[in-house]
Amino acid sequence: MQQKIWTRGVLLIALGAIGLFAGAAPVRALSADEAISGLTAPNTQEMTDKGDPGAEKYGSANDVTMTDAKKGITLGDLANQAGQNKVAINFVWTLIAGFLVMFMQAGFALVETGLIRAKNANHTMMMNFMVYGLGLFAYWVCGFAIQMGGSAPIANLGGAYPLNHEFAVNLFGKPWGLFGTKGFFLSGATYDVAVMVLFLFQMVFMDTATTIVTGANAERWKYSAFAVSTIFLGALTYPLFGNWAWGCGWLSQLGANFGLGHGYCDFAGSGVVHAVGGLTALAVAMQLGPRIGKYNRNGSPNAIPGHDLVFVLTGCFILAFGWFGFNPGSTLGASGNGCLRIGSIAVNTMLAGCTGSFSALLYMWIRYGKPDASMAGNGLLAGLVAITAPSGFVNTLAACIIGWVAGILVCLSVEFFDRVAKVDDPVGAISVHGTNGLWGVLSVGLFADGRSNYGGSWNGVPGSVTGLFYGDAGQLVAQLIGIATLVGIIFTLSFLFNWIVDVVVGQRVGAKAELAGLDIPEMGALCYPDFQLKASDYNVGANISAPAIAKH
Amino acid sequence: MRPIGVLCLVAGWAVAVGGLFITSATTGRTLIACLGIGISLFGSLGILNGYYLERAIWKK
Repeated sequence: MQQKIWTRGVLLIALGAIGLFAGAAPVRALSADEAISGLTAPNTQEMTDKGDPGAEKYGSANDVTMTDAKKGITLGDLANQAGQNKVAINFVWTLIAGFLVMFMQAGFALVETGLIRAKNANHTMMMNFMVYGLGLFAYWVCGFAIQMGGSAPIANLGGAYPLNHEFAVNLFGKPWGLFGTKGFFLSGATYDVAVMVLFLFQMVFMDTATTIVTGANAERWKYSAFAVSTIFLGALTYPLFGNWAWGCGWLSQLGANFGLGHGYCDFAGSGVVHAVGGLTALAVAMQLGPRIGKYNRNGSPNAIPGHDLVFVLTGCFILAFGWFGFNPGSTLGASGNGCLRIGSIAVNTMLAGCTGSFSALLYMWIRYGKPDASMAGNGLLAGLVAITAPSGFVNTLAACIIGWVAGILVCLSVEFFDRVAKVDDPVGAISVHGTNGLWGVLSVGLFADGRSNYGGSWNGVPGSVTGLFYGDAGQLVAQLIGIATLVGIIFTLSFLFNWIVDVVVGQRVGAKAELAGLDIPEMGALCYPDFQLKASDYNVGANISAPAIAKH
Repeated sequence: MRPIGVLCLVAGWAVAVGGLFITSATTGRTLIACLGIGISLFGSLGILNGYYLERAIWKK
């Protein structure tokens, strides 16, 4: 009884307070084109005379763009300014993130060049240098249109509305988006500021995929074959999978069409970028065959050490730095639609890289008795690759686990390809990017915690991406279908095209050039002219027969 | 052997995607997708890589 009296009393007081406020300050709705009265702004003359050292006066009503100066600032002016500010923040964020990702090319170049012998340094460095130009050209001509031509609207970038047509076929009553058709040469309506921002960001991602292939095939890949292969990857293979995952293609619609969670989810590209690059690297490396001297005639492998560990570890640091553009930048914005999660994404990225390097180092230390520098570097990269897909959907504990597993996985994978499959990969790119790219894709289906919220839905399915451990087994199936597509379709496309290149151009350099080092035969100049280089560091009798060299 | 390897790769993908139409049970779809991935991996690492290993330069 006493409680009821209390409750009534509180209610009466609250109603009275509301009545007082309503009576004291009647609220009248403003129309959009009505000037807002009572706005105060700093005196510009005072700012001219004294400046603003305390940053107290800049950024005021003076800076709001007015449609009619005579009328003053209207509600419509304020709304437009707020909208433009949001898009401007997102443009700047996405562009800066893209610039960071572009700088990762330097990291890849250093890692790969450091892990190969000095006699091939110019060749490897020039492959890393030219993937930028070759890939960019191919992507501008058609790659971007195929990938993102039907991806509009992209809310964080203000819409990017010209990218509005996806070619789809109807199979079994479901639409299967296959490729976009807007944005070839960035011409016509796609001459649009939002499209340009998206192009830059997506282009540097594609470039990352192309540069993975050069590492695995270093020291024996013909430069002309590399050039053709890179153009194909940038123009077709990468954009196709990019469309299916990110451009409203069929994989992204597995949730809407088949009820598989939120469809295939790949936040920043463990699958789209790293697995595509890693599997293409595997397809080419299988066709090229191992370097002369890598395997003895009984099939046992020889270690061929790189020439500069300082390059390798410096490159790893540059890559880890660039990854802060790769993952957090994939929100395509910092304002609105849950984009403030960029802090969480950056921390996940940092943690997974850290645990990856730690577990790889520990594995090598326990197994071989010494902490291996290059594998610690590869462990860092493996952790970063693996967290790329789940970075936007998982918590920090999951990020640590994903990175830790990646560090172990990269060591096991390197050993598998080296000793069992006998696929020669001088830098471990297939294991770092291929194996751990697939692990990253899978981990979304396991660890996504259902707490992220990017505007209330993902891939057109309301709610948050949730993995098996948090109650949605359907998400895991969507991720498995993504893996099946990467291995079954993307690898096959890469294999077939590079097979044609092998027949037409020839993929591998001659044995004499390989033994001498590719800098002079392929590039015409040594990277280190003052160094005394070893032309061959293998035993002809044990590693390979002399007639085989003559024939090759 | 190379065409067989390529067929195996694509068949693995077809099995994984076909599972979406064969059953609506999540466990069934998971198992079929894993089977498909296994077939594709066999096509790449088993058949195709085996073909190139037989012709490897260090065996000559």
